[in-house]
Amino acid sequence: MSDAVAQQTEEQEPVIDLSIADSVIDKYIDIPGNLMPVLQGVQDEYGYIPRMVADHIAERLNVYPSQIYGVLTFYAQFHLKPRGKFIIRVCVGTACHVQGAPRIVETFFDKLHIGHAETSPDLRFTFEKVACLGACGMAPLAMVNDSTYGGMTVQKVDEIISDYSQRPMK
Amino acid sequence: MVNLTIDDNQVTAPKSSTIYEAAKLNGIKIPILCHDNKLKPFGACRMCLVEVEQMKGRQIPACTTPVTEGMIVRTATPDIVKARKMVLELLLLNHPIDCPVCDKAGDCDLQNLTYEYKVNANRFTDEKFHHKIDYNNPLIERDMNRCVLCGKCARICDEIVSFGALTFIDRGIETKIGCEFEDALNCEFCGSCVSVCPVGSLLARPFKFKARFWSLTKRKSVCGYCGTGCNLTLGIKDNKVLTTLYDENQGFHKGQLCVRGRFGYQFINSNKRLTAPMLRKEGRLTESTWEEALQIVADHLKGGNSVAALATPRLTNEELALFKKMMVENVGSKNFDHSAGYAHSALTEGFVRSFGTSASPASILDIQKSDLLLVIKTDAYETHPVIGFEINMGVKNRDIKLNILSDKRGKLSKLPGAKTLVHRPGSEVAILNAMAKSILDDKLVDASAASVPGFAELVKELAAFTPEAVAAQSGLKAADIKQLAGSYAAAEKALILFPIGQAYAGHNAELASAVANLAILTGKFDKEGCGVLCMAEKNNSQGAVDMGFYAQNGGMDGLRIIDACAAGAVKTLFIAGENPLISYPNHTKVKAALGAVECLIVADLFLTETAAMADVVLPACSFAEKEGTFTSTDRRVQHIEPAIRKSAQCKSDFEIFSALITKLGGTPPANPAAQFAEISAATPGYAGMSYLSLGSEGVFAPVAVTPALVLPKSAAVVAEEGSLSLVIGSVLYHSGTLSQYGEGPMHVCPEGYLEISRKDALLKNITDNDPVTVTSSAGSVKLKAKVTSRMPDGVVFAPYHFGAAPVNTIWSGAAVTMVTLAK
Repeated sequence: MSDAVAQQTEEQEPVIDLSIADSVIDKYIDIPGNLMPVLQGVQDEYGYIPRMVADHIAERLNVYPSQIYGVLTFYAQFHLKPRGKFIIRVCVGTACHVQGAPRIVETFFDKLHIGHAETSPDLRFTFEKVACLGACGMAPLAMVNDSTYGGMTVQKVDEIISDYSQRPMK
Repeated sequence: MVNLTIDDNQVTAPKSSTIYEAAKLNGIKIPILCHDNKLKPFGACRMCLVEVEQMKGRQIPACTTPVTEGMIVRTATPDIVKARKMVLELLLLNHPIDCPVCDKAGDCDLQNLTYEYKVNANRFTDEKFHHKIDYNNPLIERDMNRCVLCGKCARICDEIVSFGALTFIDRGIETKIGCEFEDALNCEFCGSCVSVCPVGSLLARPFKFKARFWSLTKRKSVCGYCGTGCNLTLGIKDNKVLTTLYDENQGFHKGQLCVRGRFGYQFINSNKRLTAPMLRKEGRLTESTWEEALQIVADHLKGGNSVAALATPRLTNEELALFKKMMVENVGSKNFDHSAGYAHSALTEGFVRSFGTSASPASILDIQKSDLLLVIKTDAYETHPVIGFEINMGVKNRDIKLNILSDKRGKLSKLPGAKTLVHRPGSEVAILNAMAKSILDDKLVDASAASVPGFAELVKELAAFTPEAVAAQSGLKAADIKQLAGSYAAAEKALILFPIGQAYAGHNAELASAVANLAILTGKFDKEGCGVLCMAEKNNSQGAVDMGFYAQNGGMDGLRIIDACAAGAVKTLFIAGENPLISYPNHTKVKAALGAVECLIVADLFLTETAAMADVVLPACSFAEKEGTFTSTDRRVQHIEPAIRKSAQCKSDFEIFSALITKLGGTPPANPAAQFAEISAATPGYAGMSYLSLGSEGVFAPVAVTPALVLPKSAAVVAEEGSLSLVIGSVLYHSGTLSQYGEGPMHVCPEGYLEISRKDALLKNITDNDPVTVTSSAGSVKLKAKVTSRMPDGVVFAPYHFGAAPVNTIWSGAAVTMVTLAK
């Protein structure tokens, strides 16, 4: 996690409704080892973990803010800046690589104008390269949120982007 | 004990020890980077790898492996040496190896091990780290490029300091030590992380580029701030104290220090120190000679009872005893005191009537042996941080229960399982009485209590203090008071702690008797892990009490001396080290009183606000420049020697009093040692002590307890409509007014402030750092607002240490002051 990321989260911190975090915290408050479920629950609600919410969790759970940040940066599952509505993940594991995944990745980069682990300014797309999605038989493979797209081609990239560009944001 | 073989030596070690500890105990050195004897084993650095025959020659870390019977350990086989060499190569791979400009050089574990293992080349290549260096605070520099990820800083900050500023962030090759969201370090700056860092990642900035480690002379001393009595190692070069050094084996606290002890030493060599005696001539202070100044002082001291004296309890026992002797025998006055009188009344009145002694019947060492701690005011952490660390460790490592009775929340309230009852300011004594009543009602009284004098009377008099009645006036629930009393009585061993000091007017004789009653009723005194520890404010507050340097036999106490000065009854006032203009209640009154005195004599290190009003100013010496003894709050008598030579124009208070006694026709003792011999002969508990017998750790003066039950008076505090309750106190970074001359404390906390709850701030439209005019019936003062979550609504807090905007302009010595705020 770079300095830039931390700065970015601070800069674009919008007004955050802490009562949403409170309702998640209330659910787990009396359970020992509640930090992970709270962080996961909060991320489900906000889409990422805003700094203000991390500080609030620290105060409510009586955990050091530094410790929360340690957990947040240790696990790849947590995000410290807002994420897109549609998370596009392209597998670059061995099987997909052999089947041409690098070109698929390049095409997404070109069409979306964002790089790995980046989010489009309109918060519609987040793009990620991932190691293996566990469906090597369908290589090269892409996923958008929970939908799977096997046998990817450059044409299919266009189709996916235009499909998801028309979907509603709310 | 367990028998094992280490490197062909038959050795024994306690069953609970690790291989590393067993080896160390028997003089066998195993190299290590991530170990400190105060911290839990971690096993991060892999330098302590050893072979154990029973484990088929596998290489295992000595610091995390417990010893077992018959274990055969080899610590330096060729394979082990090879493995350690590789560990070093890997550690040095990303390390900048910038030893020539690193302040740690000479004291660096990594450098020393690299030398010892002759790692003169590296088989691996990789990029160096490119972490940004954190220069954002004036005390601690963080350079993560030099870090070996031993985790000691993060662990000490969690396990002992309980602040948790640092942690491991990211993972794999990216792992580093940092703060939340890559922030700059912003903590309480105790420097514990600096002290344990095995490399140059965490450095004391005030010491940067001041001296190489090996050119420092190391001198042992005792900290001159609070009453904990921590031992210090001063690093000295060219007769200047340049730093404090860490020694993990020093003192009960094992080298652990707070921000004042570690970073507050600069006052010793401050360029603001007085350099010559001064006399007021034509209204201005002008330099003079010692001879002239002392003659004038001696002439004015010939006034019998019209002479009064105030001394700071930062003087040594020898100086205080000699000062008293001079006042009684040579001046002929009984009017002398320290700490404004009320600040030591818990000991000199409260404990005297309740325990029959003017010392605490408990020691700091009892904290770890107790089952339950009852702390009065969370300020106990701020006034005595190293005792606070002991509480942290007890609660976290030994599951000691922590109950707190306080008028605000604080750092101690955050400890796991800590139960804090936040009551209305000033209602402590009533609550403690209600606890005593609840203990009586619930028949939790110890069998021994019935025969204690005053038992029957106390039972009768406590009738009014039902938990229900007290609950109404204190803002607590009756059930909470009963539960607090019940858990205290039920604990097998329980210890009560409360701080005293000039800022804690409510922590007086009444409070002392109230807590003493609880201990006596439940039989929790005179036993290991039990008793009451009254945490004295200054480094020799207990000593000042033991030396009898306070109003007795009809003498005037500190506050009455001030009144008598104003009334003209006191014509000569000799102040040694006190700064009443800032630290005594009622600034206006003190100022008028000091102005009315015919001859005001001040002996101090600095031209304090009080010294600036004096007719004669005498430059005195700091603790680092003199010999003597200090008595810590738990009555550990410790000997200090001069660490540096004093400047030619300064005299220690001992020398000043000796010279004056000679001028007044008396015979002073030959040296501090001779004075100490007199002290040990005359002072209860000090019998048989000499400088030699005190050694490096000091000796406890025993405390003999004769219990008696006394009903303490509780004054009801009535809140005024529209006013806020102001409580004053100590802040973590400061001690008295002396720390204003220490650069470290002033870097972190340079001025006074007013702490206010979020709700009150919102109501009054106040945000952080807003200047706020605080007005009481005594006057008004402008303070910066600090909005925090720890203050209850309706209560504000202000620290009392600061000469600029002194809080005593609005505070007249009450435990709670009603104030109004205006922006």
